[in-house]
Amino acid sequence: MSPNPRVLIVDRSRESRDVLSSLLARRGAEVLEARETSRGARVAESERPHLIVVDVEAQSGVCEDSAERLMAAAARNDAPIVVLGATRRSASPLPTSEFVAKPYQYAALIRRIEELLGSRP
Amino acid sequence: MASLFVIQGRDQGSRFQLEDAVHSIGRTHTHSVRLHDTEVSRNHAELIRKGNAYAVRDLGSSNGTFVNGKLVTEHELTSGDQLQVGRSLLLYTGFIDDRLEDAAGQVDIVPMAGSAIDDGSRIVASLGQTGGSEWLMPDARGSSNPWLARARSNLQIMYRTALAVSHTMDIDQLLARIMDMIFDWVEADRGCIMLKDLETGKLTPKVRRHRRGMRTEEKISISKTILDYVVEQNEGVLTSNARDDSRWDPAQSIVTLGVREAICVPMQGRYEVVGVIYIDTAVTPQKMLAAKGANQFTEEHLRLMIAIAHQAALAVEDTSYYKALVQAERLAAVGQTIASLSHHIKNILQGVRGGSYLIELGLGDHDTMAKSGERDEAAEQKAVDTIRKGWAIVERNQERISTLVMDMLTFSKEREPEPRAASLNEITAEVVELMTSRAQELSVELVWQPASDMPSLMFDPEALHRAILNVLTNAIDACDDAEQGRVTVSTHYDDDAKLARVVVEDNGGGIAPDDIEAIFTVFVSRKGGRGTGLGLPVTRKILEEHGGQVRVESTVGQGSKFTLELPATPAEAEGNQRMTQSFAAGDVP
Repeated sequence: MSPNPRVLIVDRSRESRDVLSSLLARRGAEVLEARETSRGARVAESERPHLIVVDVEAQSGVCEDSAERLMAAAARNDAPIVVLGATRRSASPLPTSEFVAKPYQYAALIRRIEELLGSRP
Repeated sequence: MASLFVIQGRDQGSRFQLEDAVHSIGRTHTHSVRLHDTEVSRNHAELIRKGNAYAVRDLGSSNGTFVNGKLVTEHELTSGDQLQVGRSLLLYTGFIDDRLEDAAGQVDIVPMAGSAIDDGSRIVASLGQTGGSEWLMPDARGSSNPWLARARSNLQIMYRTALAVSHTMDIDQLLARIMDMIFDWVEADRGCIMLKDLETGKLTPKVRRHRRGMRTEEKISISKTILDYVVEQNEGVLTSNARDDSRWDPAQSIVTLGVREAICVPMQGRYEVVGVIYIDTAVTPQKMLAAKGANQFTEEHLRLMIAIAHQAALAVEDTSYYKALVQAERLAAVGQTIASLSHHIKNILQGVRGGSYLIELGLGDHDTMAKSGERDEAAEQKAVDTIRKGWAIVERNQERISTLVMDMLTFSKEREPEPRAASLNEITAEVVELMTSRAQELSVELVWQPASDMPSLMFDPEALHRAILNVLTNAIDACDDAEQGRVTVSTHYDDDAKLARVVVEDNGGGIAPDDIEAIFTVFVSRKGGRGTGLGLPVTRKILEEHGGQVRVESTVGQGSKFTLELPATPAEAEGNQRMTQSFAAGDVP
């Protein structure tokens, strides 16, 4: 992994954010957190993270506008998005570079995130 | 069994079985017929069993008791009566008349020719379905026959009643009622209704009836030829075993034996013939002579029967479809419940996995350090911190499973509260204590303001504990995002209104007005993955079981205020009882 990649986690559940951010921090990532997609989109625009993890299931109806903004910000930075939760790709409003159904194994998720970050230009 | 079915009001769809000597109707849980209707008095009315019927008696209710729209103080109910108390309308269904017999084995379908039971019946008139329906049109035929006029007016009532009962009773009860009505209007001696089996198309007798005082063991024999004709041609027929040319000839044996006339009509539903109705009558020689040979059954009777059979068929179809619909809805509800539960369990599982993964990492770090033999206190502390963090998450999710199971139990059980003397302040303090660490974790300030004048009251402490816990958990969660989250829990005692209240106020996100009712709907959680969707429904159920209620006031962006209101029953009586018990216990050497 390149030194200090920035990862943004968008998840309503504080607990899930806690687990994932401690795991990523152990790997030397700089972790940004947002509870709502709208806030996530703003952080993505200003902080330009290298990767974004979004839990769509807990978002209970992701606001289309903020999802679009989040996507746009990710596209501008060439940041891959990892979507957690929805059972079908089509059910997610975000075109994803990675898709992980719940319940997932953390080891596998972290491995995949590292791969995505490793292939970053 | 007799029953009351709520067709209008808050309890719509509820069905109360009646079997005891007395059933009481009222708003509180002490009544066997309990209605959640604010216009129903606490003790509104009672149903007193008199043999095989119930009579309703008003108990001085403020809004009165009505049967079929008429105010009554006491009234004997018959099947189909509509009982109105407050804003609730209930349909009464009595016990099944014992004159109705099990039809199977009582009705024979016989081939017409060459049979020993052949009584020489033949069709004397037939009428198609259209003819029967036209007859329903008011004034389509200007009949001056008073019997017909009465019958026709009754038909409308019958149709409405049949529709009403079709949604509340099973097919056998419905057919029994139709048979009752036919016997009210047509002077038949015997009758039966046969339904067509959906798969085999075979006609099976369902209900058979005799005119009062005419009960015999004799089987009804119906010619198969006539039945086939009725079903295939879809025409009602009037049959007689008298011969035209000899009918009025006193020399003929008919006069000594009498004549049997019968009407057999198809039950034409919306799509097909669902069965047939058969009635017959024996005309005795005496009757025949007295009436100068006038037939017992006429074409008018046939028309009426076709119309009745059509309505009956519609009702039968409705009942079958309703049954199928209820079944489908039940399956859908089960599916929804399972989907919702799997969702919650999946989220809990995800939490447990997160926690265990942290523990695993911490243990791994610890092992690596142990192997390398180097002592690095900071690194060791870090490993322990990771394990502790993981453990806290596992524990929290364990608590969530326990909450889910307890809520499911509370919600599914038809349990009566077990009231005993307890202190609402103590119970609330317990819950506040329990939630203090959770509030600290989320940096939410938790304020507890007990009422100084709260007496000891009668209630179910375990149930109230759960009710308060669910509301407080929500309040703290709602403050998760607030800048300076603050939850205030207070108790109040209103001596004049005899009410005790627990008020939980937060300054969280608030609830949109449109969502207020939805938050009490089972499995609707607004907390993303965290809620079970059972918390508030359980709280409401517990409060209502106590005769109380849950009130919500909320402003989006400013927070919510939940008030749990409980009727205050002072605990003196229980206190005395306890004292007696302790004395008794002290007597034991």
